[in-house]
Amino acid sequence: MSVPVEARGLKKTYRDGARRVDVLTGIDLRVEPGEFVSVVGPSGSGKSTLLHLLGALDLPDEGAVEIGGTSLAALDPRELASFRNRTIGFVFQFQELLPDFDAEENVMMPGRIAGLEVSALRHRARDLLAEVGLEERMDHYPNELSGGERQRVALCRALLLEPPLLLADEPTGNLDPKSGDQIFDLMLELQARHGTTAMVVTHNPELARRCGRLLRLESGTLQPESR
Amino acid sequence: MSNLPFSLYVALRYLKSTRRDALITFLSATAAGGIALGIAALILALAALTGFQAALRGEILARTPQIEVELPPDAEGEAARRSVAQLPGVEGVGLLIRGRGWLLAAGRARPVELVGFDGELPGFFPEASDRAEGLYVGDRLATIWGLGEGDLVEVASTRPTLSPIGPQPRVRRLLVHGIFETGRTEQEARVALPLAEAASLLGRADTRLSITTGGLDEALRLAPQVAAVMPEGAVVKTWRDFNRALLFALRLEKGLMFVAVFLIVVVAAMSLVSDITLILASKLPEVGMLGAMGARPRELQRVFLWLGGSLVAIGTLLGVLVGIGGAWMLDRYQLLSLPSQVYFLDHVPFLVRPTDVFWILLATVLLTFGCSLYAAKKAAAMRPVEALRR
Repeated sequence: MSVPVEARGLKKTYRDGARRVDVLTGIDLRVEPGEFVSVVGPSGSGKSTLLHLLGALDLPDEGAVEIGGTSLAALDPRELASFRNRTIGFVFQFQELLPDFDAEENVMMPGRIAGLEVSALRHRARDLLAEVGLEERMDHYPNELSGGERQRVALCRALLLEPPLLLADEPTGNLDPKSGDQIFDLMLELQARHGTTAMVVTHNPELARRCGRLLRLESGTLQPESR
Repeated sequence: MSNLPFSLYVALRYLKSTRRDALITFLSATAAGGIALGIAALILALAALTGFQAALRGEILARTPQIEVELPPDAEGEAARRSVAQLPGVEGVGLLIRGRGWLLAAGRARPVELVGFDGELPGFFPEASDRAEGLYVGDRLATIWGLGEGDLVEVASTRPTLSPIGPQPRVRRLLVHGIFETGRTEQEARVALPLAEAASLLGRADTRLSITTGGLDEALRLAPQVAAVMPEGAVVKTWRDFNRALLFALRLEKGLMFVAVFLIVVVAAMSLVSDITLILASKLPEVGMLGAMGARPRELQRVFLWLGGSLVAIGTLLGVLVGIGGAWMLDRYQLLSLPSQVYFLDHVPFLVRPTDVFWILLATVLLTFGCSLYAAKKAAAMRPVEALRR
């Protein structure tokens, strides 16, 4: 299952005392259902901010985001939370696994938030962990896993509820090149298999080129990037 | 545990994980321990006060009429007695005459309160060996003077008789019929004597009715009905009216003690706020991640409410166990002794009332819930993106 993502005239400014930083100055973007888009750009260019706006984690100062025809501006915080739970899977640079829960429990967490039946969630989590080669590490806690393993758990967690949209913020940024390659391969493979719309922001142009479409974020705007 | 609601599931896991952080563990133990200490101290303090009060009330109320009616001077005592005796719930009505006088024996004299009664000795002269009509003196006075049953004493009235040679004291020679128990709290010696003797000593101007009912509460209920059938000018007093100042002092003492000791719980509740706030600060990225995964603000708030609630539950359970168990042991084995020459008891009695425990728990739960809510609201107000950026 997949959804289109559309952003129109997105602007975002941060204020630090008297200082004003215009991070996004007018983003127009449409991602087609099932498409895998990568966004590259230097550090501080606003890649994570863009992802947060598209992922309903933050609100733009101006402009609008629509995911699958739903305007995020029309949703209250409670509805936004439910929308994120059902529609969007996140993978972050620093994994952000919950340290008090083992790998299986981490993967199950979006389903627990949704209040789904626990035994069905457990089966689904085990299938996903087996799919990424972690069947032997299910009862391990994050501090007992390597960086690559943690990121695979995070990927499984993002895909547990089969969200139509997958957003990844520097998913390989904290890994060595070999592990980074493996995770990116896995993402591409899972995205293709599940047919999910996906967007990844990365500062690694090599990896970004392996996605269906490549965009560059610079000076607060998005530009198509040649391969 | 696997089927617990999301918020409780996460809260219990956080509670377990706090053991890994020494400072948070210390703060959690301080909060739960403070609540336990406060509750135990409250239960023990109130149980000691209640024990004392119950003993004191028993002591005083055993020597106080349940209902007493002061009749107006021109009232017909027998007629008033008949009117009251017909009321449903009244178990006994006796005529009384009260006044002041002197007890004289073997050259010694002592001012006493004279209480004339008809029929049987009233119940507010407790522990008498016999209740038939006659003269009764308190055991303390009897011991000091070496009086016993059958000894001759003189009872003099403060009201003189006018004679040709001037005012003469009214004196009756009577045999001691029995001894009753004097309360440790009684300041003035009492002497009970037959109504006819009392009338000849004191006159009938201060005639009263002493009314006995099924119990203290029943007496309070019946008092207005008694007043309704009494002649105009009669004053109806219950055991509560006789001891109003004392009962108020006992209630005030208990209330002030509750407030003073409850301050321990207040301090523990403050500690609970800092504990939850610290846990929230240490879990901030995870809270942000849970928010990103779709946990609603109210659910995140509930996580920290459960966390606070768990610490309160642990502290409360511990406090109740220590408080009730301690009170039971102290009372059962009379571990706190008192000099019986000074106090009317030889040990500190502990009496735990379920209503006291209920009010302690209610006040604790309300306060700590308020404090937990204050801290938990911070989690709810946190936007996921702010938590993730840290």
